[in-house]
Amino acid sequence: MFISAIAALSAVLLVQDSTPAQPAASPAPAPRTIAIDEAFAEAANLNVGDHVTISAQPGTEAAKAESVVVGAIFRRGADPSEVARGDFKVRLHLDQLQRISGYGDRVDRFAIATTDSADIAPTLERVNRQAFGFRAYHSRDIAVETSRTFLVVSRFHRAIGVITIVASSVFLLCIMVLKVEERRRDIAALRLMGISRSSVAQSIVIEAALVALLGSALGVLLGWAASLFVNSHYKALYQTPLEFSIITGPIVAFAVSLSLVLGIAAGLAASLRLVRTPPLTLFGR
Amino acid sequence: MKLTLAKASLIRHRSRTILAVLGVAIAAAMLLDMVMLASGMRESFRQLLMSRGFEIRLAPKGTLPFDTDATIPNVRAVTEVLRGNPDIEMISPVMGASIHIPVGERNVSSAALGIDPSVQGDYELLSGGDVTRADAIVANDYLLEQLGAEIGDTLDVGTGYDPQTRSYTGQRRLVVTGRVRFLYGATQQPGSAMRRETLEGMVGPERRDRASLFMVSLREGSDAEQVRGWIAAQLPNVTAISIATAIAQVDQRLSYFRQLAFILGAVSLFVGFLLVTTLVTVSVNERAGEIAVMRAIGVSRAHVVQQIVIEGVAISMAGAVAGLALGLVTARYLNEILSAFPGLPMAIDFFLFQPRAAWSALGLLVVSGIGAGIYPAWRAASLPIAESLRREAIA
Amino acid sequence: MTGTSIVSLREVKRDYVLGAERVHALQGVTLDVAAGDYVAIAGPSGCGKSTLLNLIGVIDQPTAGTVSVGGRRVDGMSDREATMFRLHSIGFVFQRFYLMPILSALENVALPMAEAKVPARQRIERAAELLDYVGLSSRMNHRPSELSGGEQQRVAIARAIANKPSLVLADEPTGELDAHTGAEIIALFRRLNTDGTTIIVVTHDEELADAAHRQIHMRDGRIVGDAFEV
Repeated sequence: MFISAIAALSAVLLVQDSTPAQPAASPAPAPRTIAIDEAFAEAANLNVGDHVTISAQPGTEAAKAESVVVGAIFRRGADPSEVARGDFKVRLHLDQLQRISGYGDRVDRFAIATTDSADIAPTLERVNRQAFGFRAYHSRDIAVETSRTFLVVSRFHRAIGVITIVASSVFLLCIMVLKVEERRRDIAALRLMGISRSSVAQSIVIEAALVALLGSALGVLLGWAASLFVNSHYKALYQTPLEFSIITGPIVAFAVSLSLVLGIAAGLAASLRLVRTPPLTLFGR
Repeated sequence: MKLTLAKASLIRHRSRTILAVLGVAIAAAMLLDMVMLASGMRESFRQLLMSRGFEIRLAPKGTLPFDTDATIPNVRAVTEVLRGNPDIEMISPVMGASIHIPVGERNVSSAALGIDPSVQGDYELLSGGDVTRADAIVANDYLLEQLGAEIGDTLDVGTGYDPQTRSYTGQRRLVVTGRVRFLYGATQQPGSAMRRETLEGMVGPERRDRASLFMVSLREGSDAEQVRGWIAAQLPNVTAISIATAIAQVDQRLSYFRQLAFILGAVSLFVGFLLVTTLVTVSVNERAGEIAVMRAIGVSRAHVVQQIVIEGVAISMAGAVAGLALGLVTARYLNEILSAFPGLPMAIDFFLFQPRAAWSALGLLVVSGIGAGIYPAWRAASLPIAESLRREAIA
Repeated sequence: MTGTSIVSLREVKRDYVLGAERVHALQGVTLDVAAGDYVAIAGPSGCGKSTLLNLIGVIDQPTAGTVSVGGRRVDGMSDREATMFRLHSIGFVFQRFYLMPILSALENVALPMAEAKVPARQRIERAAELLDYVGLSSRMNHRPSELSGGEQQRVAIARAIANKPSLVLADEPTGELDAHTGAEIIALFRRLNTDGTTIIVVTHDEELADAAHRQIHMRDGRIVGDAFEV
């Protein structure tokens, strides 16, 4: 059932630039390679082939530090829990990390890949029944657990979103009521011409709906542009491929229908009040 | 008279005025919240760092305090070096480790600090006594709750728990002497503290005479940045962090919130401005005839503008006052959400009410209300009188 | 006549641009009105009579020619000067009354005095006196919407004379009123004139025109007839 297992060990490393190894008289064993993340490479001005010294403790005596070569520069996966932390990542060969960190033959976790057809729940249970001193989790659950930052931020966003929606609702309602009230004279003229209340009300509501639709279209465009900006800005700022703002169909549908409903409601409320008022009063104010 | 006119005009369209005030209030609340968010975090963090008077913190090179498991070796030697600077008043080395306490079948883990109670700046005692004896431990409420323990109870505390063999590298029997609150502790994070010697005795030889952090307080009148520079030169293996640099670090890490606050604040201000402009424009257009008549009977342009602007200001002010109340309530709610932010001290408020910032935000809104009224008012007051009257008569 | 004339127009022209067309509303009007006179200007719609009134009232400026009111040149006055001039020297009465709908009758009459910085108590007192003068002492605290057309026009007249102007200009003041109410307004104007105010009215109303001492007829932007009461 187990296709492969990857052991991982994480530790804090201190990486120092070191001068390239002196051409030695006796052939020393070739230094091991490490991979560093893009952000680190940029911040420390490191390139593939550079020699660095690594140690698990600051100020470690030279004997315990090891010289390695940057063998690869990698781009980190999109992990929301790492956003804004500004940490660097270095990948080492497991045995080397175990040695320099003094962990011995230990790891923090095993990652286990299963075949596509494998059923996760019974597998977990089987591992946990036999486990002695460790526990198996579904990666998905771990991801939820480790992305608390992300969860807090998304709860915060939701709250801000609700406030924004309430605010824009009041704003929309206000604008629409004003727009309709502006038409009081036209309404009076239409009524004096003998056009029925319902026709007048209908025409106002249709106009309000059109204005709302037009505004929504503009708003969607604006939102799209803002989203582009937000994404490019924060991707660059946090050096992550994460998408910060995604405009989905349902979001657009929600925004458009909200503004449409509010537009029609405002149009209806204002027009009903206006068509009930005698036309001459509308003129005379 | 101008006030009477403005008041009467606002009352004339009561529902419209209420709606506009409500709109401005929400915009004001949002603006206030965003100002509180933008400046609050930093100020709250500064207050927290300053609360015990330790101006400088030393962490292992390249790290932030307790951000990693790294430690600073040779506590005694480092302390000696630091004592060499006459500006340094107090040095408090802190060791951090994980401890494990078996409770029945369970095993409760907690962060533990090894400190010297006479100079520590990490917690405040809520009840009971401090860790004056070698076998004493103090714990926060969250840990006590998890353990089901109280002051006076004896605990078997271990470090270096090996789950496979269910054994500890160091174990000791400690008595809970006090309940404490950790100043820098996050929410729902178990915490405990004991004497540094006690913890050192438990963690094993490779971590002896090491500290996770040094807290350094300075004599009055000394320059923190200067001392920081001195420490950096003397101790190349540590990173010395002054409050200013710590704030800069936090700023960077939480820049997202500041930028969000700035953008949303600007949007709120703009929305408030737009709302007042729209309202005043519509109201002025409706009254083009009235305005022309006022001008005809000799009311000056400036007075007409003033009267219309007063309306905009009244709406903005009413909205700002309502927004202040609304903003404080929403800030509290949003702060509660963000207080669960992992890894940040519980004591940090994202939203901090600072009167000056708040007043300037609301003042800005009122000023924008004035600005919003001036243009449509000036335009209306400058229309040719005869022409406006003729149009009014035709209509 | 020029020695005592309160209004003096010389070769006054006023052109409007309406779309692509240039309308010559006044085509060289010369006119003198003596102080204390009661003048009616009549003529068909679009003959330029309202334009003439607007020029005398300094709410419009001529394209050419000179306009003097009360011995002062008013053509070319700055907006500020014109406003001050209207406030103190001219009273306006409009066909549609144009009272501030949100103010009471008393407040409407007090409005020009407030602008002229008359102290609050004094202007309330005078506004009450003026409303009494026009026969509305019992309706002082009513809003325009609660008053009849005739009552509204009487409030408007009280407002026009609030700052004791020497000249009152009225544009179709009876145009919106029935014959009976119109007659009351005509009587009020006559009384006003007897008390020393110069009055110029623009009207279609023959009765109102007949009440005046002098009748001027206009057509196509020109004065075509000028008759004095015998």
